[in-house]
Amino acid sequence: MQLTSKQSIASALAMASCSLLSQQASAQEPVPANDDWKVDAAIMYYGEQDRVQAVEAIGNVQKAFGEDSLLDMKIVVDSLTGASASGAVAQSISQTFTRPSGKGEYTVDPGETPLDDTFQDTRVQLSANWQEILNPDWTVNLGVYGSKEYDYLSLGLNAGVERSFNKNNTTLALSGAYTNDTVDPVGGRPVALSEMVFRGDYDGDDAFQAAFDATRLDGDDTKQTADVMLGVTQILNRNWLMQANYGFSSVSGYMTDPYKILSMVDGNGESHGYRYENRPDSRTKHSVFLLAKGALDSGVIDFSYRYNTDDWDIQAHTLETHYRYYFTPSLYGQLHLRYYQQQAADFYQPFLRTEVALPEYASADYRIGDMSAYTVGLKFGHRLSGGHELSYRIEYYQQNPENNGTDIPGELNNQDLFPSVKAIVAQISYSF
Amino acid sequence: MLNKAAVTSQAATSKAPQVATLIRRPWGFLGSFSAMASPCEMLMRLDDERIAQQMLNIAVAEAGRIERKYSRFLQGNIVWQLNNAQGQAVNIDAETAHLLQFAQQCYQLSDGAFDISAGPLMKLWRFDGSHQVPAASAIKSALKLVDFSAIDFTDSQLTMAAAMSLDFGGIGKEYAVDSTAQLLSKRWPKISVLVNFGGDIACPILNPDGWQVGIENPQQLDNAAALLTIRQGALATSGTTRRYIEVDSKRYGHIINPRTGYPVEQAPLSVTVLGPNSVTAGMLSTMAMLKGAAAEAFLSEQGVDFKVFRYD
Repeated sequence: MQLTSKQSIASALAMASCSLLSQQASAQEPVPANDDWKVDAAIMYYGEQDRVQAVEAIGNVQKAFGEDSLLDMKIVVDSLTGASASGAVAQSISQTFTRPSGKGEYTVDPGETPLDDTFQDTRVQLSANWQEILNPDWTVNLGVYGSKEYDYLSLGLNAGVERSFNKNNTTLALSGAYTNDTVDPVGGRPVALSEMVFRGDYDGDDAFQAAFDATRLDGDDTKQTADVMLGVTQILNRNWLMQANYGFSSVSGYMTDPYKILSMVDGNGESHGYRYENRPDSRTKHSVFLLAKGALDSGVIDFSYRYNTDDWDIQAHTLETHYRYYFTPSLYGQLHLRYYQQQAADFYQPFLRTEVALPEYASADYRIGDMSAYTVGLKFGHRLSGGHELSYRIEYYQQNPENNGTDIPGELNNQDLFPSVKAIVAQISYSF
Repeated sequence: MLNKAAVTSQAATSKAPQVATLIRRPWGFLGSFSAMASPCEMLMRLDDERIAQQMLNIAVAEAGRIERKYSRFLQGNIVWQLNNAQGQAVNIDAETAHLLQFAQQCYQLSDGAFDISAGPLMKLWRFDGSHQVPAASAIKSALKLVDFSAIDFTDSQLTMAAAMSLDFGGIGKEYAVDSTAQLLSKRWPKISVLVNFGGDIACPILNPDGWQVGIENPQQLDNAAALLTIRQGALATSGTTRRYIEVDSKRYGHIINPRTGYPVEQAPLSVTVLGPNSVTAGMLSTMAMLKGAAAEAFLSEQGVDFKVFRYD
């Protein structure tokens, strides 16, 4: 047993060191690292100037089972109120719109961007994720997701696998997700590019209802999304790591926003009615993400760049950085800067022209138009005794939609067709 | 003694007052000071600056205590008394007896390759740029004075021949690391700490996030060539010196085999070993060095994690 006698040198030394130190370090039972519940709770406020206000409550619970298993459960409840841009353009006279439900109307003052103020919803989102470290090299995870709001249901499954190399210096990750969404809008789905009808044009309620129903489709519709992501994380040295991800996403089904409309504008820039938007029913997206993250003497910094492109012709670039500075080990401040630039979808147009034949697809939703946006944020975190942490975050966000090259006719030149959206985000979080 | 670069003549300068600094870091506190001719670091995962300072004070005191007691460059300490006893019996305390017992076990387990009585031989091989290989006759006579088995000691007394000398440099720094780690973990059993005295490291309390430890490539000292994560346990490195003698285009490394009196052939540049504590890891790395070309094979047989650097 030559091998055994050679091996015994290490154990003989360990025993000898034991009597030298009269206590062997390795004799201490490894303490389970996080065999406890970890709970994060946060409340967030999001407020756009004159538009959407949202309050969101977030609860996150993590439970470790031994060293290798982790269950992560999250609940988010948010409540939205306020108004959002309908897609119609401002005019020099007041404009009246039929509500999406077909019940009632609302009027927008001259010079004002039309906002649909019926926007009010509560959303509940639940997710659970199980992570299992199979061995030092392989980690797998599996998750489920569901969210429900009045007119929308989303259900999803996701799974991922991670492989570590070079003593954990390199990690390759592959993950996939499948989501099925069901949309059942208030008042039904509008017929693509159908014209908005008005109560005042009809003699009785029944006649109006029949005309309104003619612009609507029965039942709900669905959307399926399949995502695949491939990522690599590389530790460069003691202080820096890099991450690179490629994401592919294939979406099919109903992607039209049933509440968005387009103004029909003549050569003088005057509006002659509104049509409900229509978007393609398939979309293929690609994204590339690069991140560098470094530990500084008294802080942490990261820089990231993201490129998104899809077959709707949307292209977007995001530059982002976070810099965290520890004033003391239990108090940090964090600066967040983000810049986003987007090129419009090929079917985006700020309005339809009465003298031009209708396109197959059209949307005036500013969110898929040309735009740039930036975020400036500050966060402070304070670690309390017993491992509790309290943090506060406040951010300013501004979105600047831009003309995608459309000629602006007549009186529309007097209107702000691409108004900025300004928002404040405030959040308080508590971890225990 | 062997290749412990840390205990060189520079050790004399460490009698200067030690200045310890404590710096806040994202994960806790970093303490640093100098002892045993080495940069020493304490990585402490906690919020309370007062406790971090206490931990650092304990480390500075323990490193200083062991250095003063076992440095062969200081007059009057126990090592000086033993080396100047002129063949008379010297009383030793329990700690010294434990260290001698450990050295004896290392001597036996290495078949005599690790020997804390190798001082007379080491004096001949001075890697000071003199580019001289000692005379064969001088090596032969020095070898007669190198024999740990000829030293007679009990729990309370040691007797050895007048010309012999002892050097605890080969285990002293690792012992100081473990002793410090033990003091801290007994007093604060829930605070993760990494004790690093010149590259010999112990982490007595589990750090769930792990500590990132860079291992230098001795040929490219500016870059950490490998990173490893330690959650609990110890790490020690032998080697990490660029010194060698080159005579008639033959390169003599700095690892002297006390049995032959000559440098070990094909010794690695450095050997880093993970172990349950620093003295075990340190002794395994030293023994691997002495195996020369067989260093990797030896460590593989021991079933320990290791990293070996050699000349390109």
